[in-house]
Amino acid sequence: MVILRGRKIKKVFGKKSNTQEVLKDIDIEVREGEFVGIMGPSGSGKTTLLNVLASIDKVTSGIIEINNNNLQKMKEQKLSKFRREQLGFIFQDYNLLDTLTVKENIYLPLSVGKTPKTVSEKKIKEITDLLGINDILNKYPSEISGGQKQRTSAARALVGNPSIVFADEPTGALDSKSATALLSNLEKINKEKKVTIMMVTHDSVAASFCSRVLFLKDGQIYSELYKGDKDRKQFFQEIMNTQGVLSGDGYDA
Amino acid sequence: MVMAMTLNQLVLRSMRKNIKSYYLYVFALVFSVSLYYSFVTLQYNPAIVNEIGTGRSSAALKAASYLLLFIVTFFVLYANKLFMNRRSKEIGLYQLVGMSKSLVARLIAIENIILWFSAIVIGVLVGLLTSRIFVMILLKIVEKDAFVELSFSIEALMMTVVVFSVLLLIVILQTAIRIKRVTLLALITTTAVADERVKKFNAFQMFLGFVGLISIGYGYYLSTTILDNLNVTPNVLLFKMVSILALTVGGTYFVFRFSVALILNFVRKSKKGLMSIQDVLSLSTIMHRMKANAMSLTTITVLSASTLAILTFTYISYYSADSVAMEAVPYDYIMYEDTGFELVEEFDKEGIQYTRYDIDLLAVPADVRPLLVKEAALNKTISTELGVQVVSLKAIQNKLPNLHLQEGEGYILGYNSLSAENIRIEAQKSIQFNTSAGEEEIFIKEVTEDLLLPNYHYYGFTVVVADSYFQKLLHDPLTKNQKVVGMELKEENQLIKAQEVFEANKVSVEMPIPGNDLATNTVSVESQENYRLNMLDSLGMTIFISGFLGLAFLIATGSILYFKQMSEADEEKGTYNILRKMGFTTNEIMSGIRRKQLFNFGFPLIIGLAHSYFAVKSGWVLFGTELVAPLLITMGVYIVLYSIFSILSAGYYRKVVEDAL
Ligand SMILES: Nc1ncnc2c1ncn2[C@@H]1O[C@H](COP(=O)(O)OP(=O)(O)OP(=O)(O)O)[C@@H](O)[C@H]1O
Ligand SMILES: [Mg+2]
Repeated sequence: MVILRGRKIKKVFGKKSNTQEVLKDIDIEVREGEFVGIMGPSGSGKTTLLNVLASIDKVTSGIIEINNNNLQKMKEQKLSKFRREQLGFIFQDYNLLDTLTVKENIYLPLSVGKTPKTVSEKKIKEITDLLGINDILNKYPSEISGGQKQRTSAARALVGNPSIVFADEPTGALDSKSATALLSNLEKINKEKKVTIMMVTHDSVAASFCSRVLFLKDGQIYSELYKGDKDRKQFFQEIMNTQGVLSGDGYDA
Repeated sequence: MVMAMTLNQLVLRSMRKNIKSYYLYVFALVFSVSLYYSFVTLQYNPAIVNEIGTGRSSAALKAASYLLLFIVTFFVLYANKLFMNRRSKEIGLYQLVGMSKSLVARLIAIENIILWFSAIVIGVLVGLLTSRIFVMILLKIVEKDAFVELSFSIEALMMTVVVFSVLLLIVILQTAIRIKRVTLLALITTTAVADERVKKFNAFQMFLGFVGLISIGYGYYLSTTILDNLNVTPNVLLFKMVSILALTVGGTYFVFRFSVALILNFVRKSKKGLMSIQDVLSLSTIMHRMKANAMSLTTITVLSASTLAILTFTYISYYSADSVAMEAVPYDYIMYEDTGFELVEEFDKEGIQYTRYDIDLLAVPADVRPLLVKEAALNKTISTELGVQVVSLKAIQNKLPNLHLQEGEGYILGYNSLSAENIRIEAQKSIQFNTSAGEEEIFIKEVTEDLLLPNYHYYGFTVVVADSYFQKLLHDPLTKNQKVVGMELKEENQLIKAQEVFEANKVSVEMPIPGNDLATNTVSVESQENYRLNMLDSLGMTIFISGFLGLAFLIATGSILYFKQMSEADEEKGTYNILRKMGFTTNEIMSGIRRKQLFNFGFPLIIGLAHSYFAVKSGWVLFGTELVAPLLITMGVYIVLYSIFSILSAGYYRKVVEDAL
């Protein structure tokens, strides 16, 4: 089942004389339970694409549907509600609230709905057990490591059982060990809970955890790779090759 | 001069880019300049000089202008501090790109000079207009009609320029020192340092939180007892007042610093990590900022509470002018035997309608020794033989309809604090009249301060007696009768005409002082309206000045709260961005912010109101006779002002939240 469908997505920044077309008529489809990676050189429009798909930013033209809801037809109020109930976000710079403890941060997405307290407690326990952060629940973000922050951010994205999770370079600030741990967790959640994930990354290793990788260049989808039955090593090699072709002279910095 | 050129260009460019964060600072400057200029101008306004006279009132204006200077300094320095906080990142950036500290300091100095001089020009122009309004208000308070011209005073301008140049110099120095001292790292992270977190609470802090609440309560309790015992030495009174002040001010700080965070932390703990979005935006942010905000919130609360109390006191005296005049001159016009009858004739001639009351006032020699309170009776040095004024119940029954007296009973009027200082008497005892028939005892049922009749004897008071007994005294050769005529106008609207007639027929007469045949008192025909206007004349300036300064203060403190909220909103933009991305709507976020605002404005407001209420309650009797209306009106003004500021800041928050995504 197709969960996300984008048609002729165009995004233009700037006004009249000084415009820049960042996304050029992109068509995209994501099926339920997929783990999609988005790669591409810096400035190619990855973050922009993720933002418009996640309804954080508006498209200039084109149609985006998630679970058969047309995002362009929704008003701000309804869109917010939709975002809160159906989508989850993991950001590169964690975006945790400094004044809240880890647990309070994770509870945020549940705080508005009518989830009973006991159910909330259960959900928080489940997800923090899975991500291995249940012993830091009462700490503040300033008291935990970058990897723990990122896992907190992931727990917050996942706790509300979203249909899709959007992640923008979730491993960007992590060392390779923490990065691998987080990615295995995401992979596990993707497989076990059938959560659809879209992840922007610069890192070929990270991308090799995905089931499909899209390559973006100059605002267009340049090519895509399916993992299929390949193991991670083979897939990684394939990604590296494509990237080499894509950037020609040593890819993006 | 190549460097200077680029420097100026840089300043102009950065100014143009930052215009939004300037507008508040400029507003604060313009407000201060125009307030100061227009107030100083008053001293030189011809309408004031002519109508109210120089001398005393210009001294009062001068003294007030120093107070205003204090307010303005406080306000401007604070605004500058917030302004600099807001720009710490920008300043850090300048240094990051390689500018030296002295260059940055010069940059900010040039910028300040430009801002201040534009503010002075605008402020003086605004002040020119507002000063005219102030003069009109002042003349309205003292009920005088005069044409008010738009007057430009060079002296006032000079003073304003000097004062603000000095302030500018201070600001520039302060900024330079600040830039010099602070490290680059600290500059860039200033905002992060500000919200230091409340760590685990220890028992000591909890204890201090309780101490805060208790000392405020005890201070309030003391304030209600301060006037209970009037015959304490001034030292004791002063000590009491200082302790009340220390208890309430200290208590306020403790409440802000410890109690609030304590209570909020408790509430937060009880949620066990499951906080609603409203709690997140109110509880946790307030808690985290309390340490940094405690001092300024205390200052604002205490300052506005004292301002409010002073405002109420002056307003009480103003508001009480009518009733005080009514007590001092109980009829619209009062005249005496053989005097002022031209006035009656003139009133008749002019067709002024009045009701006439003829009252016999008897001067009776008396001894008040039996009436004295016990301790005072022991003091033999005071003479207790004096003349009292006696009136029959019938003559004043219209003023005291519920009073009933038997023969041998009396009721004392006009026993005021002045007489109390010399002769302290109490009711349920007897006074001795010295008549031809010997000494006669009159049992006093009650002693009151009511001044229903004019009182012409320094330490005397008026004894009301039963009609039959009064007739006996009237025919006693040892007493002296002074006939008094009181006139009440029937038509309010004839007052102006009556006043004109009164002014044209002023007469005074020598009245014998009872018990002393040689001495006399000069008394004139008296007019209640005249008395009231005289009172307004002497009070008007005080009322105007305290009203002016009070409002200036309230606006200044309110604006500071508003400015603080604006910078808080800017600092929390990141939080709103995250929440918006996660799918919280502007309205959901705003509902949390509104709760926070309710606290940020409501809490100082309520504590300020409570402080001023107890201050006013403890001392209002010294200022007038009316409490409720003046208290409610000044408190209402305060509440309205703070509500306006909280609405403004909520509007700013909404804009920040909307722009956050
Ligand atoms: N708000 C904006 N206004 C104007 N231009 C923008 C805005 N956001 C992004 N751009 C431009 O759009 C282009 C794509 O930006 P985007 O952030 O999507 O790149 P990216 O692929 O995520 O790059 P990176 O890998 O460095 O994060 C860039 O050239 C950028 O300058
Ligand atoms: Mg990006």
